[in-house]
Amino acid sequence: MPEFWPWMPIVTAAQAFLIWRRVLGYLRYFQQEGYEHLRFLRWANVRSLTDPAFWLAIVTAFLFLWAPTSALVLFVTGAVVLGAGQPDPRRSGKVLLKLTWRAIRVLTVAMVFALSAWIIVTSLYADAGLRAPLIAAAVVFAFLPLVLIAANLALAPYEGAVQRSYEAEAVVRVAEVHPFIVGITGSYGKSSTKAMLAHILQFDGPTLAASGSINTLMGITRHIREDLVVGHRYMVVEMGAFKTGSIRRLCQLTPPSAGLVTAVGDMHLERFGSLEEIVRAKSELAQAIPPGGWLVANADSKGALQIAKGATHCRVLLYGETSTEDLATRLENISFSKQGTSFVLRTKERTYECFTPLLGRPIILNLAGAFTLANALGVDPEIAIAAMRTLKPVSNRLEVVEERGVTWIRDAYNSNQIGFRAALEVVAAIPAARRFLATPGVIELGSTQFDVNRALSREASLVCDNTLIVADTNREAFAAGHRDEGREARLVPVTNRTEAFRWLRETLKDGDAIILENDLPDLYERTAGVFWKADSAS
Amino acid sequence: MTTRRPVAVLFGGRSLEHDVSVVSGLQILHAVDPELFAPMPVYIDQAMRWWVGEDLWHTEAFKGGGPDRSRLTEVTLSAGFGTSSLVPIGALPAALGTGGPIPVDVFIPVLHGTFGEDGCLQGLLELGGCAFVGCGVAASAIGMSKRLTKILAAQAGVPIVPWVSCERAVLDRGSDWLTALPAQVEASLSWPVIVKPCNLGSSAGVSTARSPEELTAGVLRVFEYDVEALIEPFITNRLELNVAVAGLDEAVASVSEMPVTAKASILSFSEKYKRQGRKSIGSSEGMAGALRVLDPDDLPIEMRADAQRYAKTVFKALGCEGISRIDFLIDVDTNTLFFNEINTLPGSLAFYLWSAAPHYWTITELLTRLIERAERLRAMKRGLQRKPPPELRLLS
Repeated sequence: MPEFWPWMPIVTAAQAFLIWRRVLGYLRYFQQEGYEHLRFLRWANVRSLTDPAFWLAIVTAFLFLWAPTSALVLFVTGAVVLGAGQPDPRRSGKVLLKLTWRAIRVLTVAMVFALSAWIIVTSLYADAGLRAPLIAAAVVFAFLPLVLIAANLALAPYEGAVQRSYEAEAVVRVAEVHPFIVGITGSYGKSSTKAMLAHILQFDGPTLAASGSINTLMGITRHIREDLVVGHRYMVVEMGAFKTGSIRRLCQLTPPSAGLVTAVGDMHLERFGSLEEIVRAKSELAQAIPPGGWLVANADSKGALQIAKGATHCRVLLYGETSTEDLATRLENISFSKQGTSFVLRTKERTYECFTPLLGRPIILNLAGAFTLANALGVDPEIAIAAMRTLKPVSNRLEVVEERGVTWIRDAYNSNQIGFRAALEVVAAIPAARRFLATPGVIELGSTQFDVNRALSREASLVCDNTLIVADTNREAFAAGHRDEGREARLVPVTNRTEAFRWLRETLKDGDAIILENDLPDLYERTAGVFWKADSAS
Repeated sequence: MTTRRPVAVLFGGRSLEHDVSVVSGLQILHAVDPELFAPMPVYIDQAMRWWVGEDLWHTEAFKGGGPDRSRLTEVTLSAGFGTSSLVPIGALPAALGTGGPIPVDVFIPVLHGTFGEDGCLQGLLELGGCAFVGCGVAASAIGMSKRLTKILAAQAGVPIVPWVSCERAVLDRGSDWLTALPAQVEASLSWPVIVKPCNLGSSAGVSTARSPEELTAGVLRVFEYDVEALIEPFITNRLELNVAVAGLDEAVASVSEMPVTAKASILSFSEKYKRQGRKSIGSSEGMAGALRVLDPDDLPIEMRADAQRYAKTVFKALGCEGISRIDFLIDVDTNTLFFNEINTLPGSLAFYLWSAAPHYWTITELLTRLIERAERLRAMKRGLQRKPPPELRLLS
């Protein structure tokens, strides 16, 4: 029987080291999920039970019954090997762990909690002698994601106070700078519309718009504190609605002088319960616009139109393509090419021939919205039209890349059916010898997932010579869709991304076009790389 | 044995060319003669904070999210004229041993573009009374503006391509320029034209325009990067020719190089100039992926000599120091050479241009001479009279 001393300090050191590594590993994802417990839990799921550290503890705890010394030696070496073998989230991986002060606070408290939990459980099994720390280790590793949540909860009052003081600071800054604020909301297209509007406005005056899709109170607060300076004339703010009241809160931070509502649909139905509730949440933006201010809305979207009709206190301008309403800007004659989209914007006064390097019908429709608002704010329409020519496609959002004669339409960041259809429309419109699609389908649609994917598959089968359905999540639905059209032979099931690319490399020839749809590399990478080094697959 | 003088290589920076600067900076860092000098990397990050540390010697440290700051020490240029040192600021790592100021004998700025190549950094070093390799404030600032450089070059008798300039301020004065500018361009140049930022070194924001719509769009594209757009006739059938000049006791011109990155330039080169059966394309040193022909001996010898002569003229007109690269355009159809632009801090300091005949200088030898010249210039400047004449002494 090994003696309690000196084994206990050695085991403690090994355990502390491995906990430290694992907490760091989890913290990266906790940070990525914005320290939101539910989102983090959804990611964590039962992941901790696949952690080799957990199994090391279990195995050694059993082994201890027969060969205690070997068990301890195995545990200590195993802990060191696993800890050292884990990639450091501060340095490797797609999204790095940024050791902000908040991250350090969570890290520290989580370490204290995890070690305390380990010591408490160890003392509960004190009768088991040196077997107790091994049992305790298994418990700690199994519940480690919860420990991070506990640490975050313990820090919540403090973080809340910090956040409120930041917010107060941001409110003061906005009042000082007093930019003309444009709020943008909608179920989809917010970020791209924000970017397009800011792109046009920048030629009229210094314009601030956060890059990416910052649309929460915390994100916008930080953005204001870091980037808003005296001299900014416009600020374009994306306002996301997570629940009723969240846009109202954002409008207190950045009171909009004008607003733009893109498409409002049932994208986050499960969060709100009903379409009426979504419309109510989004119309908080309209309510925040001062009397006489501009509200621009997409008349093609029922929800957005409803919001516009409800806003009687402000001046409403509608834009659209198919709507029969009286439109301020009507989108006409869209045609796609590899270089971009040509279209016509018809206002009450005249028509404008436009061109932009961007692709996709929903994007162009929202560009019409940005144009309408810029026009209302007094931006010269000719400058707005010239600015459209210099828009740059966002990486992986209907981005065309020509590579050795093959046209790649990268739309990996899209994940909804509207974007999916837009991509199919584009690939159908551009000249190509053969057309291909590689996609895992769309996900997180709840009960409608099968039917939606089946419908997308039907449409894809009419456009594409071959559709590669990646992974098995939506394979059945895609098979059904292709069967509906009698084109089963066109469907190519592959197990993963690597296989899809191998197939494409062998098949693609000069003049072919291929869409990569909803093929976010992150989706695949997120499963590996927590506990051990992920394969360096392309 | 004499002590090795500390030499700080500055690289990184806030411009679009941050990554190029890191690559160039590390090349220079490893090329400084370790027998004479003690080279030290100083990384200036995108937020313009200065860092020192052992990690900075290796390219790997810069991949991903940049070097791990927790393993570096943040420093700042010491206050006080002539103190010439880097002072650690704040934080823990400084307390753990690297405490005091780090003296620096000579600084080598290897930053490209805004804030690094345009005189800003040079001004900071001048304010500190530091010795540094390369152009001073005036030459850097003028060299950054393509328009000002053209004016000085033309004034010195160097042929230039005509241009029209458009300042961002036109946006504040309505939309008349949308028709006025194309009219002006049509009157003085001819389509197609090339539209480029006046004050940026890289290819960002550059486009060609064949119509008024493309022209105005190109100008707006420039305004996303710069406050001034330069519009020049686009020489369709053209070649580029670059010459480096080193400011030693006198300005010395290197051999010329012809970058042949574009397919078109390879074609026009072989059609017009390449004699049968010769093979001179294919060396690929220095900047990644760039193909170049060193001393393209298929070009007329007078043209190469002209380039070298003009390069020195421009170098001297601007009052350059260190190594500058002067870029020319050749209109293949008319067989004429035009000065295009100057890079007062070229990538890799254009070291590859000195390793062939007639100089055969290694970058190490060249750096030693430039460092020693920087030291001499500092001593010379310190010796300039600073005692005010009686009429300026108002308070004594």
